[in-house]
Amino acid sequence: MKTTTVSKSRPAPAKLDLGARFKREYVAPRKPVLIDTAPACYLVVEGKGEPGGAVFQARVGALYAMAFTVKMTRKFAGKQDYAVGKLEARYFDLGGQRTPPRDKWRWQLLIRTPDFVETGELDRAVAVLRKRGKEGDSALVKLDTIAEGRCVQMLHVGPYDREGDTVEVMAAWAKSQGLRCRGPHHEIYLSDPRRVAPEKLKTILRLPVAPAK
Amino acid sequence: MHDGHHQLATLRFYKERMLVVLAHIQERLDEDLALEDLARRGGLSRYHFHRVFHGMVGEPLMAHVRRLRLERAAHRLRHTSQQVVQIALEAGYDSHEAFTRSFRQAFGVTPSEFRRGRMPLRSLAPSGIHFLERGVPRDFRAARSLSRPMQVTIESVLPTRVAFLRHVGPYAACGPTWDRLCTWMGKEGYLGPGCRIIGISYDDPEATPPDQIRYDACITVDENFKPRDGIGVQTIEGGECARVTHHGPYAELSRTYAGLFGQWLPRSGRHVRNAPCFEVYLNDPGSTAPEDLVTDIYLPLAPL
Repeated sequence: MKTTTVSKSRPAPAKLDLGARFKREYVAPRKPVLIDTAPACYLVVEGKGEPGGAVFQARVGALYAMAFTVKMTRKFAGKQDYAVGKLEARYFDLGGQRTPPRDKWRWQLLIRTPDFVETGELDRAVAVLRKRGKEGDSALVKLDTIAEGRCVQMLHVGPYDREGDTVEVMAAWAKSQGLRCRGPHHEIYLSDPRRVAPEKLKTILRLPVAPAK
Repeated sequence: MHDGHHQLATLRFYKERMLVVLAHIQERLDEDLALEDLARRGGLSRYHFHRVFHGMVGEPLMAHVRRLRLERAAHRLRHTSQQVVQIALEAGYDSHEAFTRSFRQAFGVTPSEFRRGRMPLRSLAPSGIHFLERGVPRDFRAARSLSRPMQVTIESVLPTRVAFLRHVGPYAACGPTWDRLCTWMGKEGYLGPGCRIIGISYDDPEATPPDQIRYDACITVDENFKPRDGIGVQTIEGGECARVTHHGPYAELSRTYAGLFGQWLPRSGRHVRNAPCFEVYLNDPGSTAPEDLVTDIYLPLAPL
């Protein structure tokens, strides 16, 4: 396996790509698989409302503004460079007995971030964005470590509102393995919904599991 | 139909422009054929001429000139007793070896094999234009779209203020310029929601020495932005543009340009404006696989 090593003779450290380093956590198979995830650091912003709606979009914008401002500030200062990860989200009202209407959903938007990023850097990023009138909801973005442990993971291809079909396949498979899904429902967006036809959208679905009782 | 007539008239317009240039090239194969001069003869904006040529004739301008010079060399090998070195020199090659390599690459045989043999010259030309011993071409096959027609939309674009950094050199080497621009803009808080990432390419890599190709890496800003630390500011002219979306690696953008200029433009009923094309990058190459990259190409159009 190819790994990125930082050699002593090199003046600038190689760019860190978390998606590549934690490749096994970002697999996108057509059939359910079991993965073990380590606790991971994310930029996180929470919200409530229809996925893809106005609040959701504003928070996505704030999350990316934060991600790029923190990254570029570090890079300008000559610190370790890294690639800004893909957009991910966790939904807290799915998989329960009753699913509330979409406009009441509670969610968390995430971008995986190296654990050397510190809270103070987020505060400074909010300050420079404010100076440019681009602050938006960036003050709501926090750093958090999320531990999901063992998960069932599978690629969903198609519109977001057909994810239920894939989740069913995953849940049935989990059951056959003596596992139950404990949530929350996590997804990793591989496609840009503004640019990709709904039937071609690719999304990794991740369901944390526990042994069935 | 009125519209159809109009579109045929534009196709004829562009074909006639190209024929003037093709004839000029045939008559002056020994001269230094400068892009600016050819664009002027074709009556087209210097920003767009090379792309219209590539798109309609089916090969880049300089590749066309090189091929005709090689075809002429083949003709002289067969029909004169000139020395190979002399023929090579007149075809624009200063060494026998370079000439032989290009000749074999183009025609599958070496110059001396060709001189000794009797086989006809096998030279491919999508346009049907070959070297003529005398006279000039009167017609050519304009390239047609093989697959489905391109999805092109006409959009009215507002003047767009951008912070920019100029890169001079091959397009493929513009990475460090982007790095510098994004890093500076990012730490200054300009990479907020709604900012767009744009590239302006001024020169034809086929016709411009690599160290002179100009490209501006741009990020949209509002009127409060002040140029600083080597980052400039300019406004991309507003007006109607043809927009086409390119899916895939940046290295394949030229193929979409060729389709836009060669297939769409001549049949669109529209004319180009004297302003460079620009590209809007819709996803982040840092976290996106090359085949998933999405780029909008904007071609400025003259008012109807």
